[in-house]
Amino acid sequence: MIDLKKKIPQKSIGSWVITVLMYILALTWLYPYIWMVMASLKPTPEIYHTDLFSGSFTLDNYQFLFDSAEKLNRPFLKSLFNSFFITLSVTASVVITSAFIGYAMAKIDFWGRERVNNFILFQMVVPAMMLLIPQFVLIKQLGLINTYSAMILPVMVSGWGIFMMAQAFKGTPNDYIDAAKLDRASLRQIVFNLMVPLNKSIVAIVALFTFTGTWDNFMWPLIVMSDVDKMPLSVLLATFSKQYGIYVGPVMAGSVLQALPLVLLFIIFRRYFLQGMSLSLK
Amino acid sequence: MKFGNIKLGEIRESQIGAALAVSFLLFNVIFWAYPFVWLLILSFSDWRFFDVPTFSGLKNFFIVLDDPEFWRSLWNVLRFLGYYVPIVLTCSLAFAFGLQHIGRGKVFIALCFLLAHISSGVAYSLVFTKIFSSTGPMNRLLLDWFGFSIPWLSSPSMAMFSISLVVTWKFVGYYGLILYSGLVAIPNEIYDAAKLDNTPPLMRLFKISLPMINSQLIMVLVFAITVAFGIFTEPYMMTAGGPMESTNMPLLVIYESAFHRLQPGRAALMAVIIAIVSYLAIKIMRKILEKNVELV
Repeated sequence: MIDLKKKIPQKSIGSWVITVLMYILALTWLYPYIWMVMASLKPTPEIYHTDLFSGSFTLDNYQFLFDSAEKLNRPFLKSLFNSFFITLSVTASVVITSAFIGYAMAKIDFWGRERVNNFILFQMVVPAMMLLIPQFVLIKQLGLINTYSAMILPVMVSGWGIFMMAQAFKGTPNDYIDAAKLDRASLRQIVFNLMVPLNKSIVAIVALFTFTGTWDNFMWPLIVMSDVDKMPLSVLLATFSKQYGIYVGPVMAGSVLQALPLVLLFIIFRRYFLQGMSLSLK
Repeated sequence: MKFGNIKLGEIRESQIGAALAVSFLLFNVIFWAYPFVWLLILSFSDWRFFDVPTFSGLKNFFIVLDDPEFWRSLWNVLRFLGYYVPIVLTCSLAFAFGLQHIGRGKVFIALCFLLAHISSGVAYSLVFTKIFSSTGPMNRLLLDWFGFSIPWLSSPSMAMFSISLVVTWKFVGYYGLILYSGLVAIPNEIYDAAKLDNTPPLMRLFKISLPMINSQLIMVLVFAITVAFGIFTEPYMMTAGGPMESTNMPLLVIYESAFHRLQPGRAALMAVIIAIVSYLAIKIMRKILEKNVELV
């Protein structure tokens, strides 16, 4: 874990200048977000011709997305629902399967465990890019093109998730598990009522990074989904902007909708995001 | 009696463990191993998604190697790295050093930068397209202050540079944090000794700081190379590979040839070659730059 709290007692003028500079830079880094939100609240003709915080603010762009875009065959409300449905299904599945299989890898002795472990490590270093086209062919063979399953099934189980959970579970003392077994706890109870609460932060990390990764996924749904009614927001927004790019206001409103869930998650669970990022530093 | 019970329990448990592992493997047989079979078939056959694949030997191989688009995309990866690596390394090093000197609000500042990292590719690509557009806020600022504007995304010589700026915006916080974790691990005594010897700051940077964070720098470079070969959303959304193919990256070419020209064999083989090239690039970079740092 990176220790961001460690204070260096320096009170020179130089360090004050650096601090002020860093604050200015940090706010500059937020500028694209601020501009996006402001643009989404202005009528399109004003976006390029007013200063950041001036202009006549309205919610028309959002209204356009939810009302008029339907007539252009761009159901944004539906796609927002699709995104949440797909992302939450994948996240729930990855967390549950990773917890059970991770528990097996960490705490149960069975024949071939080392080999499975090696397979997971191997799988994590093989570039996913190579399998893009063949996986599309598989989905096509299964007759799943233009279905929710195409976006959910292939990513329901994650080697990375299993690896992360197993690493964390190994640190939980066996005494707890033995005590639970003496009380005749079932496997489900051991995993859900013991391992998950004891390893809260790793479960949160797996859930959050799976959620952001799935929400943000663009190329795969672009390939397997051409039905506007089942498109996730990322793809619908992209096709909308390719065709109706001149509607800058609505496009920015759509971008806000696409970015907002991740921004909120990041602000609320920033501790786990920081922890997760520093885990990869070892 | 009791003894027997426990033994029974253990047998059951190892079976459950094996069953869980088998279900994991089964999933991967379908969604991971089986596609490799298709990868093999696709690479050596003529196919347009609808007809029956016919064996064509090494034809795909020659098509890819003869394809100027393929070479152009590899060249574009190099061009991207040429912009991206110096810019992102300088920025994230500055960020890491800056973070070291902040007394108050370190977490807040780190979070501001990391917010760019946790954001949706489609959303920020659209935002930057508008910010960089010919009448956008960037050009308005330049016109007001300096009296000229820049064709950020519409000129073949600028587009790649603009995209690498956007990717830099996204990754500086993360890379900077990696470098920062290396910097805080350097013992202060080394710097104190250097100060006693009156070592100039630039010398301290190149002779102490950078060598001491070698492993973190390597990690950042590995990430940068991976991004360069695997980037898709940003060029697809911001330039669609143009203008004049100046931002046509490997994944865009693969996407185009598989789904618009219906040549999945050529696309699949290209993906394999690109993956191998990126692996080799990382390997060579490590060979040249990686050093074992030991504190005596």
